[in-house]
Amino acid sequence: MATRVITIIGFAALILALFVLEYLGRRQDTRIPTLSEWLGYVMRPWAGRLLILLGWLWLGWHYFSR
Amino acid sequence: MLMATDGAPRRPRRPPGARPPLARIRHPVAKTVILAVLVAYSWFAAGTVPFTRNALLIVLVPGLVLAVIAYGRPPERIPPPDRMDVAGFSYWAICIIALFEWEASAFRDNALWWHPSLTDLIDPMLGPHPVKAAAILIWLVSGWALVRR
Repeated sequence: MATRVITIIGFAALILALFVLEYLGRRQDTRIPTLSEWLGYVMRPWAGRLLILLGWLWLGWHYFSR
Repeated sequence: MLMATDGAPRRPRRPPGARPPLARIRHPVAKTVILAVLVAYSWFAAGTVPFTRNALLIVLVPGLVLAVIAYGRPPERIPPPDRMDVAGFSYWAICIIALFEWEASAFRDNALWWHPSLTDLIDPMLGPHPVKAAAILIWLVSGWALVRR
């Protein structure tokens, strides 16, 4: 039981961290980018763009097709 | 007479003969129609049975449509930042890699009850039809947002 709870808390903490980063990124005068800016930067090279879009497609397949 | 254009923002130059980017839809009626189509599609897609051909098609069709748009006639993109702070970039990278690692460690353990994967935790939430339809709608909209980035 304890291990399951630890696993769930781990996921929750990481997802919460993503929201906190997004919040911090939206403040004025911050070095932290928003998720949108971060993805835009990752997608500057052609390979990064392909990788992110394939990841999006995989996410849809994984959660909605299976 | 020449106009002073030093301060004016410049649009990126297109090669001669290239098609203009897909214009952004601004008309409220057109927006509403597109939203209605997406909602209807999501509702229909949420009703497909997993592991069937239809369930595969409801994912492949939007993927194909977006690929054609992204490659054939991409929309006007939101310009990405030229530079990014290394620390700021790393925060996101670390969180996303850690999330994947946590998920991968669950898969490595074959997603046992005591170490479930994120998929095992989310799948029951996607059970009700409206919730799954909403999730598919978010997925579709995020795909379009990615093409615009």
